[in-house]
Amino acid sequence: MEKIENLLKDQFEQHEIYEEENEYKSVSFESNKLKEISIKQSKGFAVRAIKDSGLTFSSSSNYDLEKFNSNFLELSEYPTKTNIKFPKKNIQKNNVKIYSEDEFLLENNFFIDKLDRNIKEILKRFPEALCDAEFDLGKGNSFIKNSNGLSLQSKESGISFFISAQTINGNDMLNIYSYASSVKNIDDIFIDKLTKKLIENLSIAQNIKESPKKGCPVIFTPHGLYQTILSPLLVSFNGTNLSKNLSKLCNKENEKIFDKKITIKDNPLIDFSPSSRNFDGEGVSSQINTLIEKGKFISGLFDLKTANEYKCETTGSAVRSIHSNTFPSTSNLIMDGGDSHIDKMIAQIDEGILVDHLLGAGQGNELSGDFSANISLGYKIEKGKLVGRVKNTMISGNSFKALSNVDNISIENENVYGSLQLPFLQTSNVEISS
Amino acid sequence: MQKNYKNIIQESLSKKKADYKEIRIEETVSTRINYNGKTRENVSINSHFGGSARSMSNGGWGFTSFNEIEQAPTKMNESIELANFSKNPSFKIHQNSPKKITLPAEVKKDPRSIKLSEKISLLDHYKDILLKDKKIQGCEVVYGDTERKVVFADSEGNEIEQSFIHVILRIAANSSDGNDLLQSGFSIGSLGDYSIVENLDEKVLESVKKSIDLIKAPKITGQETTVVLDQILAGVFVHEAFGHLSEADNVYENKRLQDILKLGKKFGNSDLNITDGAKIPNLRGSFEFDDEGTPSSITPLIRDGVLVGRLHSKETASKMSEKTTGNARAISYAYPPIVRMTNTIIENGSNTKEEIINDTKDGLYVKNWYGGMTEHEMFTFSSAETYKIENGEIKETLRPVKLSGNLFTTLKNINGIANDLEINQGGGCGKGGQSPLPVSNGSPHIRINNCLVSSG
Repeated sequence: MEKIENLLKDQFEQHEIYEEENEYKSVSFESNKLKEISIKQSKGFAVRAIKDSGLTFSSSSNYDLEKFNSNFLELSEYPTKTNIKFPKKNIQKNNVKIYSEDEFLLENNFFIDKLDRNIKEILKRFPEALCDAEFDLGKGNSFIKNSNGLSLQSKESGISFFISAQTINGNDMLNIYSYASSVKNIDDIFIDKLTKKLIENLSIAQNIKESPKKGCPVIFTPHGLYQTILSPLLVSFNGTNLSKNLSKLCNKENEKIFDKKITIKDNPLIDFSPSSRNFDGEGVSSQINTLIEKGKFISGLFDLKTANEYKCETTGSAVRSIHSNTFPSTSNLIMDGGDSHIDKMIAQIDEGILVDHLLGAGQGNELSGDFSANISLGYKIEKGKLVGRVKNTMISGNSFKALSNVDNISIENENVYGSLQLPFLQTSNVEISS
Repeated sequence: MQKNYKNIIQESLSKKKADYKEIRIEETVSTRINYNGKTRENVSINSHFGGSARSMSNGGWGFTSFNEIEQAPTKMNESIELANFSKNPSFKIHQNSPKKITLPAEVKKDPRSIKLSEKISLLDHYKDILLKDKKIQGCEVVYGDTERKVVFADSEGNEIEQSFIHVILRIAANSSDGNDLLQSGFSIGSLGDYSIVENLDEKVLESVKKSIDLIKAPKITGQETTVVLDQILAGVFVHEAFGHLSEADNVYENKRLQDILKLGKKFGNSDLNITDGAKIPNLRGSFEFDDEGTPSSITPLIRDGVLVGRLHSKETASKMSEKTTGNARAISYAYPPIVRMTNTIIENGSNTKEEIINDTKDGLYVKNWYGGMTEHEMFTFSSAETYKIENGEIKETLRPVKLSGNLFTTLKNINGIANDLEINQGGGCGKGGQSPLPVSNGSPHIRINNCLVSSG
């Protein structure tokens, strides 16, 4: 890397070198049988350099440094305008636990046996089900060094568990899955709980019910809430869209936009949570960022460049890989719970729907907050009970509108994808069609 | 690529015993130029190099990937050790007569011969056209070209070296009605032909106009209605609604699904014919050999409304005792090949587009695309343009819609196929974490009855 550093020192006012080395292991079952074990290694580097308020970026996993240097010089004739300053040497104040070596020391048979045992649990209740299941492990070492004196190293690891079951009745195909992830090994009790829940959901979903009428009450599971409403909403909190004046939240800080029951924070400082980090992809110390506080828009998420354009401070939200320039993104997204129990929320509904999974979410005009998708897994509520599953039913609406007037938020929350902690939510501002 | 790679590949394949072994070494160089609004956000050249070893033993697979080619023999041994954890019944993998061949990239106008300054100046020009009208609030211009060289060898004796050059361009104009941002644009692509990104002024201006037209366009409420799809959206439809279920890795271990998707079963009306094939030349999904070294083919999937074929990897073809089709593809060396589509098309029917529209009393004309997704028999896909059809005439512009359906009913609900087949190469496909894989989709205009649609 010395060769690159020498070039950068001579030709640019500021520079930054990012390097990472990763190893991934995956043990996967397909259709109830062990399908594949894989071990992937990758390493590479990315360089950003600035002169005359212009930033040049390039990345490579090919260590032909002479070629890299000549490409980089050509690219530097067409830089991206920016006035950012790479962070100075800083004292890292965070000490979040984001690494655990132990999982990589476990034998392959440990994972094979666990997956096999959970699949057999499902087959006991649904002998004809076809299950896929997987453990994915990853560990990595990354380094950031810049010309302003910053030099940081980060060791990170993660493990995730996935299990799905498919049943077929006539032409009806049903697939339900559960997923969990963490920095350290996911304990057996939690995995057993996920599998048990999957079996329960599979049982309820065997019954296909008529879709409820338009205007019926709609409750979102934590997963359904993220997929339907929060995922398009977060597009507007992203510094890239705020800095380009594309977000509906531009310059609306401290305005009340959502129901006062809504508080959402982005918290990268949770021990052993898979999206936690001590510093971001540019070496800026991570911090807890409040996105919505009691219905008021507080802040978006920024890296150095988008913060500079929006004329605010970076929120330490830069993510990167060797394949891409930095961009702002969420870490662990936490939404405050409300004051209703989910059982009571369901019990109060005469006819409604509990939305869990969507097919086709995220394909529309997300900048407007609009969503529209097929409900691939939604449970029919009749007389306060989950009685079956709806099919060929669509849900549409707008995230801003859906969260502007919320009927109920549950006390209970659940972990989704490892890095989201979300409650159940009931809103009437969505449209169901079938 | 290093000169001694052939020796290293041979050394890797001669190591430990396994039922099947393969190795891939790959080098890519990509140029990316992005604009977001008036700012050029990124100009980069990214080069990547790596390899993978895959082996099969006791009916299970081991896979390893690496960046240093010298590691290949060790990594091949490691993959065999991983495969040996399997206790599944063994199976004999499908064999083709082995080939030793080097195939250069198909090139018409080579993007590598165009200076970076020339590419930037052309894209600057498009960006200026997009932002000239004051009603346009922002724009998106994304250009990419990638050179990919892949060397493949396996324990059956194949040694295949192939090169590909892909070009893509996405252009979109954003307007606003004061509340919502509205986007209109297009995506195009080619195999080895830079000229497709040239001379697009009119098309860019059309995006500007369409984006502005959306400002006053109303949304529709969720409903079941008749829809006429243009060639681009019908291409996305065939990919999502049918293509994914024709991939045999959904079926080969699933006896119940095999009964549902039995060859010979009727899925559509007698004028419906669907084909997939990498052997169709000069498209983004075209190649001579797939990532398992199997020769590509043209595979009829539906003939006269009847299911007649499906897409295979070596494993699925072996286990289902069907012919290989050359559809095992990996997005890069870091992933094992899985069954994927290539160039998927609905073939021409006998109607004209005008006959189909004139014959539609009440419905929607849906054009262009945002995206699409499949989960088993259910699928959704979204239009980028929507117009009302009233008494056989195309009327006012509406906001884009999401369309949703079910394989078993929607294919039978196709009741009009025009004779104006066009192929769109601006899309990519995602499956099993491997995205975007270059594919193309094509179709003539088609009409579907009773399709579930909603704005969004």
